[in-house]
Amino acid sequence: MVDKLKGKVAIVTGSGGGIGRGEALALAAEGAKVVVNDVGAALTGVGGSAKPADTVVDEIKKAGGEAVANYDSVSTPEGGENIIKTALNAFGKLDILVNNAGILRDKMVFNMTNEEWDAVIKVHLYGHFYTSRPACVLFRQQKSGRIINTSSISGLGNRGQSNYAAAKEGIVGFTRTLALEMGKYGVTVNAIRPNAGTRMTISDDMRQAAERTGRTGMIQYMESLKPEDVAPMVVWLASDAASNVNGRNFFVQTGRIALFSEPVQEKVIMKRGGFTVDELFAMLPTTLTQGLINPAPKEVEAPKS
Amino acid sequence: MGDRLKGKVAVITGSGRGVGRGIALLMASEGAKIVVNDLGAAVTGAGASAAPADEVVEEIKKMGGQAVANYDSVATVEGGEKIIKTAIDNFNRIDILVNNAGILRDRMIFNMAPEEWDAVIKVHLYGVFNCTKPASVVMRQQRWGRVISMTSTSGVIGNSGQANYGAAKMGIVGFTYVCARDLGKYGVTVNAIAPAAATRMTMSDEVKAAQAIRAARGLAGAGPASQAPPKDAPPAPRGGADPEDVAPLVTYLATEQAANINGRVFYASGGQLSLFSNPEMVKNIYKQGRWTLDELMGLMPRTLAQGLMNPAPPAPPEPTKPA
Repeated sequence: MVDKLKGKVAIVTGSGGGIGRGEALALAAEGAKVVVNDVGAALTGVGGSAKPADTVVDEIKKAGGEAVANYDSVSTPEGGENIIKTALNAFGKLDILVNNAGILRDKMVFNMTNEEWDAVIKVHLYGHFYTSRPACVLFRQQKSGRIINTSSISGLGNRGQSNYAAAKEGIVGFTRTLALEMGKYGVTVNAIRPNAGTRMTISDDMRQAAERTGRTGMIQYMESLKPEDVAPMVVWLASDAASNVNGRNFFVQTGRIALFSEPVQEKVIMKRGGFTVDELFAMLPTTLTQGLINPAPKEVEAPKS
Repeated sequence: MGDRLKGKVAVITGSGRGVGRGIALLMASEGAKIVVNDLGAAVTGAGASAAPADEVVEEIKKMGGQAVANYDSVATVEGGEKIIKTAIDNFNRIDILVNNAGILRDRMIFNMAPEEWDAVIKVHLYGVFNCTKPASVVMRQQRWGRVISMTSTSGVIGNSGQANYGAAKMGIVGFTYVCARDLGKYGVTVNAIAPAAATRMTMSDEVKAAQAIRAARGLAGAGPASQAPPKDAPPAPRGGADPEDVAPLVTYLATEQAANINGRVFYASGGQLSLFSNPEMVKNIYKQGRWTLDELMGLMPRTLAQGLMNPAPPAPPEPTKPA
């Protein structure tokens, strides 16, 4: 136990397992008092159990730390409020909010049901809002605070995850706005795009598919990326040392951390007044869209015999 | 009248006014048959009226084009399905979907009601899914399609007072990235545009008042209504960026020539068009195994976090006045 977060109170949503558990343990190891939130649901968000959160609370206590469990869902306003209230009731304040809870419902967009879309957006995107809003009320009053949100590299374009990507890039937009709004109150808001082998990223389906196709190397690689390895970066972002880092997002996996660039207008054309369609037909292929490659070009269909 | 979209059928959501209306008119003038969708609501999403959609349909017919009106809300699954069905029922297909409908409910995060969050996410982000899902089923079958969704610099760059809007608009970017990859092999492209124009939505009295408050408090990204143009900016030829100026780029992306453009984000305002970079890992640190916190404390300030500026730093403490 060291003390870089001594006296701080932290909430980690979805910290009954995987990356969230690693974050809760690491924050506690630096002296933070931790609310371990987990509904104890299946990966798809179904069901609920107190066991995962309780187990992590026990782990923290055994290591000499302080922690309480909370079992509310982040996907309702009441759930978010209750999670924040748990920190206030147990420890009297809140300094650090790590929004980590998440589920998956992968499907190609043309096959995605409304329920699959809604469930993922509710847990990830609404889940970030429902906890951040009451936390920001407190952070603004106390003129300090840290929010670390969880996005994903899947947000940048992974087939079959239009719901997940919409939520995860939505979280990046949410992060940028909150950073601008809360910075003046001494609060920073950043996001990580973690990669680790967890029950979410190595599902039983994936394992079986890998065994069927003989491509077990990918599973072994993912298993080598320990979920606990994400936590040090989150602890660093939560510390006073990171006060100049606000509104940014980072890739984090075992032994590798990267800063993502923010979007910039990398190519620009200008004229007085608006362009006409004729002008765009002539100009765009030699300016803005020159060299752009379709990431999923049209499949050439075999001629019918 | 051009013919670059001859025989194509286009749905433009929220095209009763503003940017959407400009897109509907231009696509019609290039030969596309248009579904003019508009709920006819206020900027906040309240109320409904058939008038805005009907007026644009009339405009298109007067210039010799073909168009039908639809008044459904994009914010429900049924609404999205009905909008796409209007294209199928009237014109037998859908080739182009422009997701443009939008509302605003600006509020600082600590004051934002769950209803204000929900209303904006539902119209923008759910709205894009509710229309794109049924359209993608048809486009996949016909092995051709174009989806162009409106995002915003409020999400791509960030803007204070718009946590709901910024989240929705970046969500649309993530959705665009994945749909481009889900649908590209079927001859469908999916792109996004961040437009900036003077419309009823961006220049309402409420928006201008809110921006003035944010500017007075020194908050970042207070918006165009509160900012003087830079001294060396070219003179605005017609008093600003017209909503019609966004339409040529949208129309271009809908044509055959734009087949190589998939999963990208553009900026369009007046006579300025830009391609946005996609996020990339610009600085990396590596080691075998897990970083320790001590290592990060030592390394981060001179690697990844070096030179990062807090975009909204806390004000320095007030100097204490002598007694």
